[in-house]
Amino acid sequence: MRYIPSTSEQQKEMLKEIGVSSFEELLTSIPENVRLKKKLNLPPALPENELEENIASIAQKNIDFYRMKPLIGAGAYRHFIPEAEKALLQREEFWTCYTPYQPELSQGTLQAIFEFQSHISRLTKMEVVIPSIFDGASATAEAVLMSIRLTHKEKIIISPLLHPHYRETIKTYVEPHNIEIVELPLQDGATSADMLKQSLDNNTAAIVVQSPNFLGGVEDIQEIVEITHQNDALFIQVIVEAMSLGLLKSPGNMNVDIVAGNTQSFGLDLSFGGPHNAFLATKKEYVRQLPGRIVGETKDRDGKRVFVMTLRAREQDIRREKATSNICTNHNLNVMAGNIYLSLLGTEGLYQYSLLNFKKAHYLEKELLKSGKFTNPFPYPYFNEFLINYQGNIEELRKRLIENNFIPPLSVWQFYPEEKFRQSLLFAVTEIFSRDELNKISNLLSQ
Amino acid sequence: MSNKVLEGLFYTKNDEWVKVEDDLGTIGISDYAQDQLGDIVYVEEIKKGTIVNQGDIITTVESVKAVAEVYSPISGEVIEANHTIIDEPSHINGDPYGKGWFAKIKMSKPEETKELMNASDYGDYRK
Amino acid sequence: MKLIFEKSFPGRIGFSKPTDLFDDIKLEESIPIKYLEKNKKQLTEVSEVDVIRHFTKLSKFNYGVDDGLYPLGSCTMKYNPRINEKMAGLANFSYAHPLSFPDMAQGSLELIYRLDKLLCEITGMDKYTMAPASGAHGELTGVLIMRKYFLDHGEKRHKMLIPDSAHGTNPASAAMAEFEVVEIKSNENGTVDLESLSHAMDGETVGLMLTNPNTVGLYDEGIESIQKIIHDKGGLLYYDGANLNASLGIIRPGDAGFDVVHLNLHKTFSTPHGGGGPGSGVVGVKSRLIPYLPTPVVALEESSGKYYFKDVGEKSIGMIRSFWGNFSVLVKTFAWILSLGPEGLYECSKASIINANYVLAKLKEYYKPAYDRYCGHECTLTGREYKKYGIKTLDIAKRLMDYGFHPPTIYFPHFEPYADETIMIEPPESEGKEVLDDFINTMIAISKEAKENPELLTSAPRRTPITRTDDAMAVRRPILTYDDELRLKDELNYQEKDINF
Repeated sequence: MRYIPSTSEQQKEMLKEIGVSSFEELLTSIPENVRLKKKLNLPPALPENELEENIASIAQKNIDFYRMKPLIGAGAYRHFIPEAEKALLQREEFWTCYTPYQPELSQGTLQAIFEFQSHISRLTKMEVVIPSIFDGASATAEAVLMSIRLTHKEKIIISPLLHPHYRETIKTYVEPHNIEIVELPLQDGATSADMLKQSLDNNTAAIVVQSPNFLGGVEDIQEIVEITHQNDALFIQVIVEAMSLGLLKSPGNMNVDIVAGNTQSFGLDLSFGGPHNAFLATKKEYVRQLPGRIVGETKDRDGKRVFVMTLRAREQDIRREKATSNICTNHNLNVMAGNIYLSLLGTEGLYQYSLLNFKKAHYLEKELLKSGKFTNPFPYPYFNEFLINYQGNIEELRKRLIENNFIPPLSVWQFYPEEKFRQSLLFAVTEIFSRDELNKISNLLSQ
Repeated sequence: MSNKVLEGLFYTKNDEWVKVEDDLGTIGISDYAQDQLGDIVYVEEIKKGTIVNQGDIITTVESVKAVAEVYSPISGEVIEANHTIIDEPSHINGDPYGKGWFAKIKMSKPEETKELMNASDYGDYRK
Repeated sequence: MKLIFEKSFPGRIGFSKPTDLFDDIKLEESIPIKYLEKNKKQLTEVSEVDVIRHFTKLSKFNYGVDDGLYPLGSCTMKYNPRINEKMAGLANFSYAHPLSFPDMAQGSLELIYRLDKLLCEITGMDKYTMAPASGAHGELTGVLIMRKYFLDHGEKRHKMLIPDSAHGTNPASAAMAEFEVVEIKSNENGTVDLESLSHAMDGETVGLMLTNPNTVGLYDEGIESIQKIIHDKGGLLYYDGANLNASLGIIRPGDAGFDVVHLNLHKTFSTPHGGGGPGSGVVGVKSRLIPYLPTPVVALEESSGKYYFKDVGEKSIGMIRSFWGNFSVLVKTFAWILSLGPEGLYECSKASIINANYVLAKLKEYYKPAYDRYCGHECTLTGREYKKYGIKTLDIAKRLMDYGFHPPTIYFPHFEPYADETIMIEPPESEGKEVLDDFINTMIAISKEAKENPELLTSAPRRTPITRTDDAMAVRRPILTYDDELRLKDELNYQEKDINF
């Protein structure tokens, strides 16, 4: 086997040195009854060339996802990934190493994480950033648990325009804890401040609002943060489309308490939904209730500026059942990817890409509305995703798009089964679409 | 290993100490405890006016690689907390029986000290 | 070395400029200005060349499996085959949108479905969920499944038994499910003390979370009694799969009576650790627990031969993340299993067990083992004999770096009186005998140095890009972003040589 260097001769020598005559003697502590007595019933080993063909043939059962540009987002966005990022991620030093517990041998990973924390802090205007929780949904659930620890209150209010998977994940995480979850009713493209006022009381730990929300809508965060703070509750902003951070007002400038942000848009593949990454950002005063790893700056014995994992006393390996979370392995390589991506884009690039996402989505909406085949169910400010009602047959629209190599937009009815959404489509438009393509789409759908 | 013991104080099995002057008890953690923890980097603030029972958690102490709960060796009301250890937690390492004190408690049950160890018993306990 | 922010130069760009800026769409006509940031957010201004050089240099400050032995106990730092990476990177997989119609993603769904079957055969379980993103995430999923099972059966059980040798994630996961953690002491053999276990197990207890072989590297010889004690009282047995690399083709958790298992695909199944993830912590259950799995799972409609997402139903614990799983990690796992076949899997465990016992046999007279008996795929030595020379285990680990090795896991597991100042060494199957001999000889040389010239150890490492770090200062004065540093610029007073190396 090419992954096992020692030959059977060498293994025999080693067994002799150990002082046993056979490998079996090393296994005597396994009771005979539970030993596996048969060979595993698995396909025989494949040579590398056959393995490659075999798996490639499975992949070919997917449509040609590279060629098919998605008009669907809903929590996972296709953006262009620069080749420089992909090439750098091929460095084995980045991806074959372990969690950076030994700072002398992992300054590369540690410094990159520190830079990512610095990037996210500047984008969100939040003081402290946990760079990696698995994904936006689990990060949001961790933010909710954190708000309960901070306030000792027992009620959570959730916007109906929080991504449905995120809402489900919060419920799963919170279920053992005897916490009341109130989901506000859905009205239009924004979370209702009036409904929120009615639900908020002095037992509310936090309110969770996504912005841009599931329908792409930019929420009036400032207004709802004020209402939230009047009731001594914490405000958790969820960001699912991180590209919006290049343009929209930073949560820290609106006095948001905790931000949970999916960073898939920062240089990560769609990869059928994972692995992506998410950060948690908050105010310094809450740092000891944060879950997960963080990197800090210090000095080495020679006085050099160096980076280490820090504030570790919150974590499971030290605090066991009293830890702030059980999280250990996270998605650090995707933090590396995000940091390289943001370094390449820089101040100007992120702004321009973010602006282009915004403008292209608005261009397509305009063109679709012009055709007369589409109507706007309720207007609201949005970033790069918008809801629009189609007058024709949705099945046919899908077929036409697929035939022309576009993945159709999301039918929101599958997540909001209300009659008014029967004909509603959620379009996502990122910078990857050219004007010609957007014109082609609107022409296709105007017929 | 360091385990200096100071005469005249009472000690708990969890390595806290209390120094009694009239009905006032000053509390802290022992030299042995600070040595086991290593460099102390953070102490949770103790609030003045807090009422504690003997054995209640009064604060937590954090080092780079460990966290320890500190249990009050006596019952009573916190009338003063040492703020210098919040800014300079290293006092607890450097001077656990002096600058590193945690709080002064007005004792409600002075008889509780009878259940605690004296210096020589504690010295044997942590030999 | 310098931060990317310190390499910024006004006017430089590292991105490729779009040609059509869609100037016909006016921002301020489309959204209220109050929602926008007034100024561009200040990141960096560097060129693509600057970025390539910066990160290439950073990479050279790291040590990976491809650089040499990485004997971290309980972490299974084995070789990550290149073919796996290529397969996971196929465009049809990596560009697949998770909410595409199942018809579009039949290949991705088929792979998930088939991987489930392979993992069930390897571990003796009945069904896997691919959703959990890591080992700890799998543990949370597993304990929530156990919780739901008892609630569904009208039982209120609130305690979870966990051995003192367990990973910290076990008690932390149990606590997230609101279970009270009851610690079970290890016996003089380093395994679960059966008397304590049967004393602790009762009708209010959910069950036991066990790693086998455990974190000291020992198979639990009492496994039959353990499963009987737990099951007799109606409890469930949880298997932490962190150490499965000692078991492939040898013992299956499903046959040993485990009801729930999580596997760390980034350990046993050769997918890379990525500097701390992403990995995957898939969870397998016995048939009676299938109704409680997270939703959805991939199913096959026999009549049409089509794969689809099936809702698990109302007993499911719900979703534990967005979408379906860490798919690219699943592809790598699938590729690895197919590369090895049944004989190859067995050979991996065999080679790793021989490796660990060889290291143990050669080093036990220098570093007293926590328990002197044959081990599984990792061995636990201690550095306690060197305390009298003023040497801590940490110093031994740091000295290894000067010889070009990554140190083993140290100070874990930790439980008195056996496991103290521990050095846990896991030499996986991908390490050949001569690599181990180098390591062994180095450890012996360090032992000599510790006695004769301890300063060499306490001042180590000297041959790494940096020396030992002041971890206490990092907590006392937290600097968590570059802006934090800028605020303390005067106090820190770095010289050029301190930041440019």
